[in-house]
Amino acid sequence: MRQVYNIACYEVAHIFKDFILFLMVFLVPLGYAALFGAVYVAGTLTDIPLGIVDLDDSRLSHEIVTAFRNSPRFHIVETIGTYSRLEEGMKNGTVRAGIVIPENFEKKTELHQKTKIMTCYDASNLIWGYNIRKYALEVLNQFNAGHTAEYLAGLGMTKREIRDILDTVSCTTEIWYNPTLSYANFLFMGLVMMILHQLGLLSAGLTITREKEHNSWIQYLAAPVPGWKIFLGKALPYFIAGFFNYGLLLWFAARFVHVKIWGSLPLILLLGLLYDVIITSFGFFLSTQAPNSLQVTRYLMLLSVPLFLISGYTWPGTHIPAALNALARALPYTWMAEGFRLVTLKELGPGEVRITLVVMGVMAAASLLLALAFARRRNSPVEQGLTVNGGPAYPGKN
Amino acid sequence: MLRQSLAIMGREVRYLWRERGLRHILLLGSLLGILLFWGIYSAQVLKEIPTAVVDLDRTKQSRELVDGIRNAEYLKIVAVPESFQAMEEMIKEGRAVVGVVIPEDYGKKVSLHRQVRVLMVVDGSNIIYATNASTAILTVTRTIGTRAGIATLLARGIPLSQAEDAYRGVNIEDEPWFNPTLNYAYFLVLALALNIWQQCCTLTACMNVIGETGLNSWRQIRAAGVSRLQLFFSKSLVHIIVFMITVLPVYLLAFEVFKLPLRCGFPALLLFTLVFAVAVHGIGTLMSSFARSAVNSSRFGMIVALPSFVLSGYTWPVEAMPRWLQPLVKVLPQTWFFQGINYFTFNNAGWGMMTHYMLIMAATAVCCYALAALFISRS
Repeated sequence: MRQVYNIACYEVAHIFKDFILFLMVFLVPLGYAALFGAVYVAGTLTDIPLGIVDLDDSRLSHEIVTAFRNSPRFHIVETIGTYSRLEEGMKNGTVRAGIVIPENFEKKTELHQKTKIMTCYDASNLIWGYNIRKYALEVLNQFNAGHTAEYLAGLGMTKREIRDILDTVSCTTEIWYNPTLSYANFLFMGLVMMILHQLGLLSAGLTITREKEHNSWIQYLAAPVPGWKIFLGKALPYFIAGFFNYGLLLWFAARFVHVKIWGSLPLILLLGLLYDVIITSFGFFLSTQAPNSLQVTRYLMLLSVPLFLISGYTWPGTHIPAALNALARALPYTWMAEGFRLVTLKELGPGEVRITLVVMGVMAAASLLLALAFARRRNSPVEQGLTVNGGPAYPGKN
Repeated sequence: MLRQSLAIMGREVRYLWRERGLRHILLLGSLLGILLFWGIYSAQVLKEIPTAVVDLDRTKQSRELVDGIRNAEYLKIVAVPESFQAMEEMIKEGRAVVGVVIPEDYGKKVSLHRQVRVLMVVDGSNIIYATNASTAILTVTRTIGTRAGIATLLARGIPLSQAEDAYRGVNIEDEPWFNPTLNYAYFLVLALALNIWQQCCTLTACMNVIGETGLNSWRQIRAAGVSRLQLFFSKSLVHIIVFMITVLPVYLLAFEVFKLPLRCGFPALLLFTLVFAVAVHGIGTLMSSFARSAVNSSRFGMIVALPSFVLSGYTWPVEAMPRWLQPLVKVLPQTWFFQGINYFTFNNAGWGMMTHYMLIMAATAVCCYALAALFISRS
């Protein structure tokens, strides 16, 4: 174990010597999490800019305007008074939704003639679109209930009678797992898992390429040290740092972004442990295969968005073509993001997430095997044609 | 002078081509991106939300209610479990997103006009599903409540016309503007592909200065007396032309093949993209001017490029971010570009707004190039 310890110490010295690597291992994960946390900390959309065009200017239309004014979801932009201004406001984003109350609305309503309020919303951004549609419906449902109660009171009914009639068939709607429909609960931990994935892979992915660039990899290959010890020594600091970051970001998310992280703690730790093993060992394996740090950096960085989207974390897997779903199922991020959501948000137990655990366990074993059995030979230089930045060197100031 | 510039540009084209990794990234990155994202969002609209209905009553009235749910927009009944626990399991396992429980005495109570409660459950863990499901449920509950209320009033001897008047309320007409079918592919595919494209561009631009100053041949270039301004201007010109060439197939696929909306006109969009390409190139050049190696330059560039899409407000609005963060995200050209892409392709927000956005991006480019020049002159 002395050899493993020595290699690990040497790697730690490298981390502390290379300031950028040090930042990447210890500070950037928290930095990114803080940044994304700040973006989503509000959780839900409130104060949506709403333009109202009241062409009726009657008692009933004023009541409708008051209903929207009283809703915490909307903020009425007073400067919008005409349809053309509403159109302009929607185009340039001054308002995201509009209510148009037509002329003679009250009169027509009283005469039971056909008339409607138009609610329009900016569907070019569907986060606005879907939420506004829901909030507007909530406000109008509530307004209509009030209108009915008022009408029944006019018929001489008591409050209790009115309540009984209104609640004849009442629908109790419960939102499970994320009752406030908070975007922080929905998205933030998916982003955190991606931060850990990418920075973990990148940090471990540079460990051998750096040796290749310094021409010191040959010393490892020539030394009488078994491959598994090289792997353990090289990967251990990143594994420990990765697990530390996992805990730190979870604490940060719960404490400052108010993300719901409930469920079984041992299960959360087990998921983190498996995820960390996969990332660290696969990162090491990549590093043994890649010619230099530049290539590792470039390719890994570009993968973040595709990996996140293909996983089905946001757009459900049921609506993604089967071939892409199969590809996503081969990726650890897909399983970790979903598994973490099931455990922390839905509070499922080991029995219910056993498939996730088994798959991640197999992935961890496979990546460990790949890393432990890395080929102890120097890659022969590329002979075909001229390559730039394809070998062990790339531009850098001396 | 011109000849020398052309020679530098020719050399840069060769260098870009010979660097296999960068060549693949530039040529294939954004193209693969748009194909992948189109594949992911090929369903386009999130309809047919899986719904489980527990009908503990099994009467005519409860079946009417189930029919009402079946006819609701966006909901699709996928299972009729026997018990609440079975439905709970289905939602836990993600096989259903909406659950409805009709109680045992539903039909009897409705007939007697007594109060009865129907439970509707929505899995809130995926908000895209949950928001749609909640809206669908709000519509269903309104219809159910109205029907039951009118029946109760009639039973109490209130004339039909009065009972209907009581529940007439206000009718609304729902109009989603700019994206009437609430199409997710329209909303996200182009923006995500352009996000990959801007990352590829950043990686290329991050080699602009360090790709020269980090090589031994830099001394030869200096000794040859080539002006730094001419050298980097010529190189930058090639980069920006290449960026624009690589975005063309993305736009071609988006607007001609996938038929994504384009309301501002193609020349205007290209001009807007060109200004952004210059701004992104400016950032990359700045990173490459002070980095000690190409790896560090790429890292610095990606530190800006990677989170920029989330920060841009394209999905989660800038207005909903904390006040202190809003000025920071507005410094990034990506914020103006992605917001602009949304405004111009969907809404055709007009030249005034586009000019404003382009001026801000151009200002970022000027600042970055000026700082880069300062670093180069000191090196």
